[in-house]
Amino acid sequence: MAKKRQKTPTSVRKAGLTRRQFVGTAAGTAVAGAITGFPNIVRAADPTRTIGLGVSIINEIQGQASKDLGFPIRGQALGYGAMFGKMLNQNDQYEVAEGYYNDFDVMVPAKVWQPIDTKRIKQWDAVTDLCKTGRLTPDSNVGQGDAPFRHLWVDENGDRVEGPSRYITAVPGWHNADSMGYNPEETGRKIDSWAELFSDDFKGQVALLNVPQIGTMDAAMGVEALGLYKFKDKGNMTREEIDFLIDFLIKKKKEGHFRAFWETFGQSVNLMVSGEVVLESMWSPAVTAIKAEGVPCIYAFPKEGMRGWHGCLSISAKVTGKALDQAYKYVNWWLDGWAGAFVARQGYYMSVPDNVKKFLEPEEWDYWYMGKPAAKELPDPFDTIIVPEGEIRDGGSYWDRFKNIAVWNSLMDENDYLVKRWTEFLSA
Amino acid sequence: MVDQVVNGHHGGLIGSQPTPPTTAGEAKQFRREAGFPTGWLIAPAAIWLIVFLVIPLISIVVFSFWTSSGYGMEPDLTLHHYGEYFHNQGFFIPGDDNFLRPSVFIRSLGSTFYFALVVMVLCLVIGYPIAYFLAMQVKSFKWQLALFLLCMVPFWTSYLIRAVAWIPMLGRRGLFNKMLMGLDIIDKPIGILLYSEFGYTMALVQLYVVLCVGPIFFSLAKIDQAILEAARDMGASIFQIFREIIGPLSLPGVAIGMIFIFVMIMGEFATAVVVYGGKTSTTGTVILNYYAIANYPFAAVNALMLMLSMMIGVVVILKIVDIRKEL
Amino acid sequence: MRRWTRERRRRAWIKTGYSVYFVLFLIFIYGPMIAMFVLSFQGRRGGTSFPMRGVSLYWWEKLIEPSTVGDLQGALLRSLVLALIVMAFTALFSTMLSMAFRKRFPGSGVLFYTVMAGLMVPGILLSLGLATLLKEVGIPPAWWSSALGVHVVWTLPFGFLVMMAVFNRFDSRLEEAARDMGADEWTVFKEVTLPLILPGVVAAGLFGFTLSYDEFARTTLLAGEFNTLPLDINASMTQRIRPTLFALGTASTIFSLLMIALFVIIYTILYRRAR
Repeated sequence: MAKKRQKTPTSVRKAGLTRRQFVGTAAGTAVAGAITGFPNIVRAADPTRTIGLGVSIINEIQGQASKDLGFPIRGQALGYGAMFGKMLNQNDQYEVAEGYYNDFDVMVPAKVWQPIDTKRIKQWDAVTDLCKTGRLTPDSNVGQGDAPFRHLWVDENGDRVEGPSRYITAVPGWHNADSMGYNPEETGRKIDSWAELFSDDFKGQVALLNVPQIGTMDAAMGVEALGLYKFKDKGNMTREEIDFLIDFLIKKKKEGHFRAFWETFGQSVNLMVSGEVVLESMWSPAVTAIKAEGVPCIYAFPKEGMRGWHGCLSISAKVTGKALDQAYKYVNWWLDGWAGAFVARQGYYMSVPDNVKKFLEPEEWDYWYMGKPAAKELPDPFDTIIVPEGEIRDGGSYWDRFKNIAVWNSLMDENDYLVKRWTEFLSA
Repeated sequence: MVDQVVNGHHGGLIGSQPTPPTTAGEAKQFRREAGFPTGWLIAPAAIWLIVFLVIPLISIVVFSFWTSSGYGMEPDLTLHHYGEYFHNQGFFIPGDDNFLRPSVFIRSLGSTFYFALVVMVLCLVIGYPIAYFLAMQVKSFKWQLALFLLCMVPFWTSYLIRAVAWIPMLGRRGLFNKMLMGLDIIDKPIGILLYSEFGYTMALVQLYVVLCVGPIFFSLAKIDQAILEAARDMGASIFQIFREIIGPLSLPGVAIGMIFIFVMIMGEFATAVVVYGGKTSTTGTVILNYYAIANYPFAAVNALMLMLSMMIGVVVILKIVDIRKEL
Repeated sequence: MRRWTRERRRRAWIKTGYSVYFVLFLIFIYGPMIAMFVLSFQGRRGGTSFPMRGVSLYWWEKLIEPSTVGDLQGALLRSLVLALIVMAFTALFSTMLSMAFRKRFPGSGVLFYTVMAGLMVPGILLSLGLATLLKEVGIPPAWWSSALGVHVVWTLPFGFLVMMAVFNRFDSRLEEAARDMGADEWTVFKEVTLPLILPGVVAAGLFGFTLSYDEFARTTLLAGEFNTLPLDINASMTQRIRPTLFALGTASTIFSLLMIALFVIIYTILYRRAR
């Protein structure tokens, strides 16, 4: 049932149903399928269950996978906290986990997933070196923190090893580099440094990300850019470093520097669109969303480098037999390129650019990956035009962008202490 | 009673069966009194509570003594997390900045408590007349229920959705500012409506005031109109009638409404993020933050301390007004 | 004669004053939703904040189409069904408990504070605690089993306390009279007690419905493979928030208001017929 419902949008575009017909069928299927989850439902084939964020669990993606693979893929989209809790505590509730490398200090030692055999990953050679060695190009900077290559390699027991081995924790997937977004009409100048986050010019009109682990890293970039402090490793700060940073943030907060702290994608968009802030730490697709709502917004490309994050696919330790074969098929399917092209149209990159290229139109490839001006209007994955002709993506090509990752999203060793100090910051 | 239920009917997640009183003596005692036997009345709910509340709660208590491994918990008993909760660097060391500052977790609890008190007072002041109106001025049950439901409708839109709507309503470019400017009350948008202590307090009142209207309404509705009429005929002033009759008789409802609001605000985590822009930390957000890094034992300690302070608050409220006394 | 009219006028004034206050109160609690109503008619290219970019029904149509992330319609139905079941259990349990509490019985204090504990235990940890236990036992969580369990734990104290207010100073002479006339306990309950406490039972159930429909934290680890509405909305926030959510909010508000109007109409008709 779920499979049928998910497939509808794709078939609509192809079959050219009228909207009215489409709405009718969709409503019918929705009602018929709505009560799924009650006991006693008959299952045709055992579905492969996958959980993750709304970034990768999108009905069109799992629908296309079900169609291509011939067995149902059932995605369950969750918020970050719910996803994290479920991945760690309920690995019997999913086969595939679409997680993020920055959580692997928790997930890998907890042994909730099984090592993935690269011999069973057909496109393994097409996966770039970004995750394998940390250097997308030979002259790249590997970046501090939980870079994917530091969390990738394990032995057949799932214990971490240095450098290439046959087994990996997770198959690299979608990723991006974050920085700040700003409204150029309000700032009146180009923002090209993290230091601007603390500029007095924008006092009371700045927002930070309210996730302690990530928010501190953005702040640390700013403090470093101001020349106030030099962190040894921003992805793994010492207590002294955390103390210095939080004391600085508390001082700024008491001056009334911050308008708000946001937690979800949508909040960050609303803050900028409604004029509450002019500069905030932000995720790249949020900038696209703001522009789509007609508010000018530029994605800053700070000279100190960006903060990277990387999504990936893992298989639960509980999966065996036929279910394991299906899980491998689904993970492999992600590397074929279709899914990569889908997420590319939302501004994310994929670990197999060569395969993605096959599924993108040349103009799309030039715009999203090569950083060239759009040769024509370009749509998002749902056929809404979001890129006007002639627009250029800030930050240059994929390779330029990922050459200079300053730090990756991380969990620090002093995480408990960090959260404690962050609490003090918020209540100051 | 509780023990009996465990022994009698264990297992069965949902199909909880009523437990008959086990000993003959007890059964007799029940039968002699009027009404349904107490055992039958409480057994289903008691079993339900044991399965879905008591046992998980015991496990939370156990978790709070376990060791956090960085990726979950290990069953090594420790008091470390309690120490971490109460200890503050420099506390009671003369000359230190933190000389009289308790740990940040206690301070979070304290500020949550402060907001709870403020909101309770505001809700009582705003909500009491509404309950009075429904109970005393609206005569038919039909309209009483309809108007009460009308107050509840905003709750039937998920708070996650309502939260998103706060910004376009109260923001600098929001409807409220536009309205004030249209009325020439202000000449440039004001920012204090959102992301301020004022905005936060008003949002909490707006969200929870309905919770105290219900109970107060029920205790007011039972006041016999004849008594009020008699008092009036004897020349009592409105103030006297309120102080001598209506006030005391509605106290149980007030107490129950205050309990609702108190526990809701103490457990609050979402509104602080959305309306206050995350610029404060409540105990609820502390618990979520530690949950998010899989430090479950410490989250459990915070949760237990929160429960303890709620329990104290509720006991205090019930000491002031014994809602069971007049049953 | 003159005094009578003055008294009447005074009462009319009081009533008008209260009515005005009630309307102001409604504006206060509905206020933040006005932006939601307006923005649900946002143009196709607009977002969840002002300015409006055209006016359209685009986002309303989206309500019945399959969503991009999650499964809006399914989640909505699951949440409604769950909230209705919770409503029934809350009304039933809180009535039974409050009737038991009319008498003193051993352990009543323990039971009272156990019920109250359901109000106080932080949802996310209750969810973690039960999920851990279920995993040990090997029972998979599901929205209609484990989530139902903790939802009732959460809503029961509300219903129970409301019923306590109802039974407070409850006049039991009517019941005794019925018993004296030879009625058995069931008849007494059905014919005497229930009609008197019915508003309270309805209110207890309504608390159950409302709190369950909106519950997020307790459901996180206990919903199993299918999301309830709050989980689904939470998931959709990892993407761009679209005015579809506002259309959903507006639709549920309008639906609720219609149901209230319907209730008033039906009640009026039934009452007339009965007379």
